[in-house]
Amino acid sequence: MVAVKIPTSNVVSVENARVAIVAAGIVSPLGFGLDETVESLRGARDCVTPVTQFNVDQCRCKTAGQVGDERLLAGRRNGRQTRRLHRASHMMIRALEEALSQDSQFEPDLTVIGTTSGGMSFGQDYYRLLRQHRDLRHSASLIANYPPQKAVIDAQDAFGISAPCQIIANACASGTNAIGHAFECVRSGRYERVLTGGYDALSELVFVGFDSLQASTPEKCRPFDRDRSGMVVGEGAAILALENLERARSRGARVLAEITGYGISTDNHHLTQPDPSGSGPRQAMEQALNSARISAKTIDYINAHGTATPFNDAAEGKAIVQLFDQVSVSSTKGMMGHALGAAGAIEAIFCLLALRHQFLLPNINYRTPDVDVDLNIVANESRPARINVVLSNSFGFGGTNASIVIQKFAA
Amino acid sequence: MSLRIAGMGWVTPLGRGIEAVWRRLLAGEEACAQPISSGPGEREYMIFRVPNAALKDLLPHPRLRRASAISRFAAAAALDALEEAKTAIGQIDMARTAVVFAVSNGGVAYTKRFYHDVAESGAQSASPLLFPETVFNAPASHLTAILGIVGASYTLVGDGAVGILAMKMAEDLMMSEALDYCVIVGAEEADWLLCDAYHKWRLLKTRPPVEPFHQPPRGMILTEGAGALVLAREGAIAVDTIHAGTNFSRQKGAGNSIADVLRGLGAQHTEVLISSANGTFVDQAEHAAAEREMPEAVIYSPKPALGESVGASAIWQIIVGAQSLGSKKLAPFLHVDPKVEGHFSRDLPMDISANTAIVLNCGLNQQVAGLKLSI
Repeated sequence: MVAVKIPTSNVVSVENARVAIVAAGIVSPLGFGLDETVESLRGARDCVTPVTQFNVDQCRCKTAGQVGDERLLAGRRNGRQTRRLHRASHMMIRALEEALSQDSQFEPDLTVIGTTSGGMSFGQDYYRLLRQHRDLRHSASLIANYPPQKAVIDAQDAFGISAPCQIIANACASGTNAIGHAFECVRSGRYERVLTGGYDALSELVFVGFDSLQASTPEKCRPFDRDRSGMVVGEGAAILALENLERARSRGARVLAEITGYGISTDNHHLTQPDPSGSGPRQAMEQALNSARISAKTIDYINAHGTATPFNDAAEGKAIVQLFDQVSVSSTKGMMGHALGAAGAIEAIFCLLALRHQFLLPNINYRTPDVDVDLNIVANESRPARINVVLSNSFGFGGTNASIVIQKFAA
Repeated sequence: MSLRIAGMGWVTPLGRGIEAVWRRLLAGEEACAQPISSGPGEREYMIFRVPNAALKDLLPHPRLRRASAISRFAAAAALDALEEAKTAIGQIDMARTAVVFAVSNGGVAYTKRFYHDVAESGAQSASPLLFPETVFNAPASHLTAILGIVGASYTLVGDGAVGILAMKMAEDLMMSEALDYCVIVGAEEADWLLCDAYHKWRLLKTRPPVEPFHQPPRGMILTEGAGALVLAREGAIAVDTIHAGTNFSRQKGAGNSIADVLRGLGAQHTEVLISSANGTFVDQAEHAAAEREMPEAVIYSPKPALGESVGASAIWQIIVGAQSLGSKKLAPFLHVDPKVEGHFSRDLPMDISANTAIVLNCGLNQQVAGLKLSI
C-alpha cells in the first residue's frame, strides 16, 4: 500500500476558544452540593471517619472519607432498576442533578469522566458469592452495574442525556485528565459543550491495595507535614459543565469561572512512585502554564495533589519550589481523603469555590514544616484572600501527571 | 480532520502479525478453543487463547517482567505497529506521540489473584506487588515506559465500543500541533471469571462455534489479545469520520442507537460493513439497522473466527477494515445462520471493489460507536 500524506493545510491549529464552567455539582464527604462544601472548606472540617462499609481489622489504616449512604440513597426513585444501581451511580446522579439545576439547558456534545475503579464493590460481591457457592440468581445485575461507564450512563439516563461517554482511567489523575481533555475539546472549537468530572466509590479491594503498599496511614493524613505517614482513601463525585464562553454568554448562561490551561505528562520512573526529582509534576505544571499563556507569578494558589505520602509530597513539593516563588499551597486531602479518580474533579470544584468566595483552602492536620520542602502552606485554617488564578494538580499510578489552571471570570 | 493509519499490529489467537493473521482469516480459519477452569466455580468454559509462540520474540524489558498478559499483548502489538509505521513513513518522534489505550476488563487475572488472597485470608495477605497491576492504566504505563513516551497517555475504559471512542480521542488530541502521531491500543486478557460473568449475563456460549445472527442468540466466546494502530497524517488508509456514538438503556434500544450512528457516518452507499456481530443480541440490532441504513453493504464480522475481545475488538475490526480495503477482499464470514438473508461473505473470500468501509461496534454494555475508513 502507498502512504498518502495529508496536506498540512488540513492540520487545524488550536483555535483557543475561551472555556467557561457554567455549572457544577458535587457529592463528597464534605457535603452534598456546593453550599455545604464551601462551608466545610471554610470551617476546615475533618470529615475522615472510621470505615463502616467493610471490615478493616487487618488493615493498618482504619479510616476513610466516606459519603453517607443514608443521605445518598434518601429520596431515590424506588424502581427495581434504581435499587440495583451501584452507589457510584447514585453519587453521579446527585452531582449531575445539582449541575443541571444551575443550567437546565445544558446539553453536552460529549461527556468525559474520570474514575479508577467504577463499581468495584459489585465485582467483589460477585466474587465472594461465587467463592461461597451462594445463590447467584441475581448476580447478573452485579455484573451489569459494575463497569466504569455504567455510573456515567446511569446519571445521563436519569436526565435524558445520551452524549457519548469517554471514561478516562488514568489512576488518581483521572479526574484532572478528564477535565483537561474536556477543556481542550471545547477550546479547539470541535465541541461547544462537554460534561466532565470524576467519580469513585470506596471499595475493599482498593482500600486494602493502598494499605498493602503502606501508602495509607494509621494516623491522620498530614499533607506536606514533616511527619506525614500516608494517605487515607476517600470517595465522591463531581461534575463540571464546560461550554464555549461566547456561546454560553449568548444564551445568557451564568459563568462560574474559566478553565484556561491544561498540562499532562507521563513519568516512566516507576509504576507506583514518582521520579524523586519531581520532573513529571513539573512538566505537567509548566505545560498548564504555557497552555494558559501565563507565567508562574500569575498563580495565586495551588491546590496540590498532596496525598501525604512521603514520596508524592517530596516530589510535588520540589517541583512547586522549582517553578513558583512562595505561592500559597494546600492539599485538601486531609479533610476528606484521596478520592482517587474523583479527586481531580472534586478539587477543581474546591478551586472554583475558592475563586468565587475568595479564600484559600486549608491544609489540615499540619503540625511541623518539612525543611526539605519549603512551601507556603495554608496551614490548618482557611484564609480570606484575593485570588484570581489557581492551579490544581493530580498525579497517579503509572506516572500520569495532570495540572489545570482555573481563573476567576472577568466579563 | 481526516487522519491516516500509518501502521498496525495484531496479537490474536490466530497468531501475531497483520499479514499472518489476515492470511488465516482469508483462508477461513478460526481459532482453536481451549477449556479454562481456573476459577472459584466448578463450571468449565472455552476461550480462544493467544498461542505462546506469538510473544516469543517480544524483547525483554524490566517493565514486562511481572506484567500481566494484557500488558504483554499490548506491547507486542504496539511495537509491531510502530515498526510498520516507520517502514511506511519514516522515523516516529516519540516526543510528538501520544498513547490512547482502550480496555474493558483490564488486568483481570491479577485483580482476581489479588482479591482472592484478600477474600481467602484477609487484608494482611494482600500483595503489594499485585495491586499496582490491577489498576486500569498499568498496561498503558508499561507501554509508555517501553516506548519512552513522556507526554499524553490516556487509558479509556468502556465496552466493545471503547476502541472507537479511543480513536475519537486520538483524533481530538491530534488537533494539537504538538502531536504528529498517536498510538492507539486495544487489549484484553481472558479469564475464567469473565467467562462466568458473561455466562451469568446470558451472553456467553460454553463452547464454539460462534453463530452470528442465529435466533435466538446463542452467545459469544471470549478471546484475548491486542490490536494497535499508529495514527498519523500520512498512511495508506484514511480515517474519514469517527462517530463517538451514543448509549442505549436497554438491549431493545440498541438498534435505534446503531441506526443513529450509521446515519451520522453517512453510511448509506458504503459497500462494506465490518460489524461487531458476536452471537449475542448485538447481531440482530446491527443487522436490522444495516438493512435500513446501508442496504447495499456486504457485512463481515471477525468474531466467529477470533472471538469477542471486548476492549480490543473495535481495533481488531479497524484492522480488518483496513486490510479489506487494501487487499480488496473480505474474509469468509464463518457460521452465519444460512436462514438469515443478507449480503455476507459466507464461505469463500469475497472480492470487493469498495474504497470505503464502515466499522461499527455495538458494545455489550450500552455503548455504540462507529467510523468510516477509506483508501
